[in-house]
Amino acid sequence: MEVLREKVEEEEAAEQEEAAERAERARTEKMMRPVEVRKEETTLTQETLRDLEKKLSEIRIPVSAELPAFTKDIIDISMLPVSYKTNMPKEEQLLQLADNFSRQYSHLCPDRVPLFLHPLNECEVPKFVSTTLRPTLMPYPELYNWDSCAQFVSDFLTMVPLPDPLKPPSHLYSSTTVLKYQKGNCFDFSTLLCSMLIGSGYDAYCVNGYGSQDLCHMDLTREVCPLTVKPKETIKREEKVLPKKYTIRPPRDLCSRFEQEQEMKRQQEIRAQEEKRLKEEEERRMEAEKANPDALHGLRVHSWVLVLSGKREVPENFFIDPFTARSYSTQDEHFLGIESLWNHRNYWINMQDCWNCCKDLIFDLGDPVRWEYMLLGTDKPVLSLTEDYSGINDEDDVENLDKEDEDKSFDMPHSWVEQIEISPEAFKTRCPNGKKVIPYKRAKLEKWAPYLNRNGLVSRLTTYEDLECTNILEIKEWYQSREDMLELKHINKTTGLKTDYFKPGHPHALRVHSYKSMQPEMDRVIEFYETARVDGLIKREETPGTMTEYYQGRSDFLSYRHADFGPRVKKLTLSSTESNPRPIVKITERFLRNPAKPAEEDVAERVFLVAEERIQLRYHCREDHITASKREFLRRSEVDSKGNKIIMTPDMCITFEVEPMEHTKKLLYQYETLMHLKKEEKLSRHQVWESELEVLEILKLREEEEEVHTLTISIYDTKRNEKSKEYREAMERVMHEEHLRQVETQLDYLAPFLVQLPPGEKLTRWQAVRLKDECLSDFKQRLINKANLIQARFEKETQELQKKQQWYQENQVTLTPEDEDQYLSYCSQAMFRIRILEQRLNRHKELAPLKYLALEEKLHKDPRLGELLKMFT
Amino acid sequence: MNRLYDSMEPRVIDDGMLKLAVGEQGPQEEAGELAKQEGILFKDVLSLQLDFRNILRIDNLWQFENLRKLQLDNNIIEKIEGLENLTHLVWLDLSFNNIETIEGLDTLVNLEDLSLFNNRISSIDSLDALVKLQVLSLGNNQIDNMMNIIYLRRFSCLRTLSLSGNPISEAEDYKMFICAYLPDLVYLDFRRIDDHTKEVAEAKHHYSIEELKHRENLMQARLEEEQARREELEKHKTAFVEHLNGSFLFDSMYAEDSEGNKLSSLPGVSEFLEAYRDKFVIICVNIFEYGLKQQEKRKTELDTFNECVHEAIQENQEQGKRKIAKFEEKHLMSLSAIREELEMPNIEKMILECSTDISELFDALMTLEMQLVEQLEETINMFERNIVDLVGLFVENVQSLMAQCRDLENHHHEKVLEISISTLEKAIKGDLDEDLSEDVRALFVDKDTTVNAVGASHDIHLLKIDNREDELVTRINSWCTRLVDKIHRDEIMRNRKRVKEINLYIDHMKSELDNLEYSDILD
Repeated sequence: MEVLREKVEEEEAAEQEEAAERAERARTEKMMRPVEVRKEETTLTQETLRDLEKKLSEIRIPVSAELPAFTKDIIDISMLPVSYKTNMPKEEQLLQLADNFSRQYSHLCPDRVPLFLHPLNECEVPKFVSTTLRPTLMPYPELYNWDSCAQFVSDFLTMVPLPDPLKPPSHLYSSTTVLKYQKGNCFDFSTLLCSMLIGSGYDAYCVNGYGSQDLCHMDLTREVCPLTVKPKETIKREEKVLPKKYTIRPPRDLCSRFEQEQEMKRQQEIRAQEEKRLKEEEERRMEAEKANPDALHGLRVHSWVLVLSGKREVPENFFIDPFTARSYSTQDEHFLGIESLWNHRNYWINMQDCWNCCKDLIFDLGDPVRWEYMLLGTDKPVLSLTEDYSGINDEDDVENLDKEDEDKSFDMPHSWVEQIEISPEAFKTRCPNGKKVIPYKRAKLEKWAPYLNRNGLVSRLTTYEDLECTNILEIKEWYQSREDMLELKHINKTTGLKTDYFKPGHPHALRVHSYKSMQPEMDRVIEFYETARVDGLIKREETPGTMTEYYQGRSDFLSYRHADFGPRVKKLTLSSTESNPRPIVKITERFLRNPAKPAEEDVAERVFLVAEERIQLRYHCREDHITASKREFLRRSEVDSKGNKIIMTPDMCITFEVEPMEHTKKLLYQYETLMHLKKEEKLSRHQVWESELEVLEILKLREEEEEVHTLTISIYDTKRNEKSKEYREAMERVMHEEHLRQVETQLDYLAPFLVQLPPGEKLTRWQAVRLKDECLSDFKQRLINKANLIQARFEKETQELQKKQQWYQENQVTLTPEDEDQYLSYCSQAMFRIRILEQRLNRHKELAPLKYLALEEKLHKDPRLGELLKMFT
Repeated sequence: MNRLYDSMEPRVIDDGMLKLAVGEQGPQEEAGELAKQEGILFKDVLSLQLDFRNILRIDNLWQFENLRKLQLDNNIIEKIEGLENLTHLVWLDLSFNNIETIEGLDTLVNLEDLSLFNNRISSIDSLDALVKLQVLSLGNNQIDNMMNIIYLRRFSCLRTLSLSGNPISEAEDYKMFICAYLPDLVYLDFRRIDDHTKEVAEAKHHYSIEELKHRENLMQARLEEEQARREELEKHKTAFVEHLNGSFLFDSMYAEDSEGNKLSSLPGVSEFLEAYRDKFVIICVNIFEYGLKQQEKRKTELDTFNECVHEAIQENQEQGKRKIAKFEEKHLMSLSAIREELEMPNIEKMILECSTDISELFDALMTLEMQLVEQLEETINMFERNIVDLVGLFVENVQSLMAQCRDLENHHHEKVLEISISTLEKAIKGDLDEDLSEDVRALFVDKDTTVNAVGASHDIHLLKIDNREDELVTRINSWCTRLVDKIHRDEIMRNRKRVKEINLYIDHMKSELDNLEYSDILD
């Protein structure tokens, strides 16, 4: 048994070995991998086999179960044009050429994978990859630059993983098909993007190469979302001002320098420790975040786009990953190797070693040592040695092209792909079904097409605390074309703070509104577009007991108002909150300097202590002073001991003046100031009260807007704008009716009579006269008939009415009131009908001769009869 | 006009009348009572109404320095007088009086509205000072010359004019003329001038107005030129080298020198003189240019100094303000704490704390000030040294240039002497040129006369040069001393003011605290 089991085990092991060998072979088939090629072990022990087994079991090939494979079955090829289904002679020739090239290549480089030259298209016809590129300039100005182009491609298509992640696909569909079904693998993506980029003038190439796992699976979960990255604050370097000749010397520093140095040292140590700790923490975190190593690292086939510098002011070469629309430098470690690349003119094979990813690659396609080209002399035929030379080359591009055309042996046939077209609707909708979700590291980005969501939501960014994306940190929602001009909603889940950002144009000129709850008298900050407001309010901050307002650009120089509220007094009578405002305890107002007034008369701050009946004034400080005048008014007793009303006493006003003035000492002056201030206090209180009301109003309006969330539609948007659509339709209807009427007026009266005559013959005069007479008599008959008809109806109605009346006369006594009512209503209706009929009859009688004459006139003018009739008359 | 009051005695504005009027027109009700208690100072009054009082003579108004509006209508005033002190006056009503000429308004530069309705004025003049005039009412007067209108062209702010009831308003062309010559006018005789009238009027008087405008422009240009020249001269004067950019000095040397002039007519002298003059002028121009350059240097020096001092003072003030603000914040808190405290010993302790705080603030502020004083003193001394050096250098160089002038003069003198001697010899021999005038011949009678004449001429020249040099040196030196003195004085004043300010503030704080203490004890 033991032996048997061993044998079985051995057999199993052998099978494993075979499998392993196969895998190893598959791996070693590909040359120049960035990972070291594992040497195949000749002798396999049990342990190594087990190890191998374990390793192999760890390798998980991701199966795209959830994503239905984009296969041929679902593509309707019946509608495709001929060029898709067959090959032109020139294409055939090219394919032969490619085969020849491929054979030579595999002969020369037997250890490299076969070239990706002519995959099958959707009609199972082999097509050369360069001819699959169809350079197209899109009619949308948004798609003129590479970044927006790439973003569009990545948004528009749904990613389908390659059927075999280690091999290029067997099929490469045309961009039109891909666009139609909005699905594709990396090769489809890059083909489409490359077509668009070449069309808009970039020097772009499709690349067949090897990418990292994240790249191949469009996995951004280890990437920081670009929207969450805060722009780095540029540190302003303070310009050191040279000390002027007479700059005063600073006072002598009496601190001990030694102590300072010691202190500095200590501080530095602490800082160093702190930094070290932070660094370690960071490292630990990085470690945790790092993905478990990919077993197929360096083997995953990927396709992306290379943009070379030189055209469209591209300063240096870079890669675009078509899945994510991100640009990478050519040194990026996500790109592990390049097999070949092509554009619509030629095909190049990379002859450089990719042991160090793409970091050492030199993208000089004219260098035949580094890049083996397939077609001679189509593009970049010579090694660009110096900058000047390439410059000249660029300038003489047209000439060179002409020359090349003459002497090149074979040029690339025209693309077999139909013109790439994107309908405006599809362009607007962008993502398939208008929705797209991109997971990032600790973040998730959702996008919607405009007008897809009824509340105008176009994108949402959710930021999470952890990598598993369970604890939400904050949510940012972007809105578009909302009637209330809401642009961005920011919800901080940890603090519960919500912040709404508005575009200019809100009825209350809102700019930012941050709050925790929509209840009034709670913590909230509202910022305004101050230029849109008459009172120049910039910001209003509220806490449960205070309200602070900031102003700008007011003619009274008010810049700040702060109100403290006391607890609400309970009223005995039941009343709503509006009628019971909180008592104001204190109002502080600050003013900017009014240059028209002298500083000692220009109030800088005034405090109304409403509860204490005190008013404090602080004036502005004069330029050459360090102290400011102050004045305090007390309004304690209004009646003195004898019961006389006290108007003003010196102790009611405490004054400090920097430069004592005479006229301010007077009681009259103080009295007038006090009176003025009292008035102002009343006004300020009123203002505060109004501000509170305004907050209530804003909150109410916001709630309404949130509920209704109507979207504005541009008047140029003919599809969505209902009003204009209606108008347009009405216009069309009117046009149509107009047209009908015209047709009617051109109705041929003679047609029924002409039919009776033998066709094709010229009318004789006699015939013409008869025709005319017939026509006229017929018309006359019809008029008479019509008159008779009206007459008959009229008589019938009259008779009926008479009958009814008779009946009524007879049965008047026995009738119930209802019957009587019925009778009366009948009578009135009948009378109405009779009257109308009478009118019609009269009108008909009036018009009939006129109509008859008109027809006669018309027949006279009719070109078919006119000549003959004229002769007759 | 004021027949109603004809029966009354003509009056002069006196103190009693003024007091009465001020009392009547002053604040009413509660404020009025206060005003009565305290009395109103005339200089605080802003508006005064003195109508229908049969006033014949304006007087005693000098105290109303701040008066803005004065109504003296419906009196029997014959002469505008006694308004010189009312420089803030904006509104003056002298209608329905017996004024015959416009006068005594030369100090009322702020006047905007002037009414002289129903008087006996026959010509518009003496209003030059009223540059802000907007409304002028001269109806019912005896103005009969249309040319008076042209006088009104100088008031660029004038918008409203009334002239109805004057002899000129009878003229057929009256309205058109005014509209044409005063195009900025909006209201004439209480009516708005419509655009059409304006156009017609302009078309009608087009040529004469163009001519007038041309003349005015010429005048303006001349004035501006004059102004520019004066400014230029002023600039040169501040550089102490005025009239050195040409032959002024040289010309002045010969202006009072009769002998020299006579001698210059000698054969051969004129050539010398020409060369001498050229050289002399070159040196003068050198001095001039050097002077301007030095002036520039001094100016930048002074500017830098002022800027630095200003910066230092500002910085210091900021520090002081910060200190005060910090103190006030704390002080307010402790004051309210004291108010709420009930225990007597605690209150005393807190008050003590407060007063120490105040004295600490005082110390801090004074230290700041003393520090600034020291720093500024150092800087000022440095500046003084530098400016004195600059001035010294300038004077030295100018003196050396002047010495060159003197050398030239000496040289010239020698030449002239030589020629004179030879001429004398000729004269003695009798073969003097015929074309010499008599008074020149008179110089060559004997050697003494000749030498004396030449010497006198030389002395005058030297004197002129010396004078110019002395003038320059004294002026620049006095400028320098004055500047330095002023800087020192300003600094002292600044210091005193600041110390006063600090003391005042501290005193106020202390008294406030004392009051609190006092009231607390009372409570």
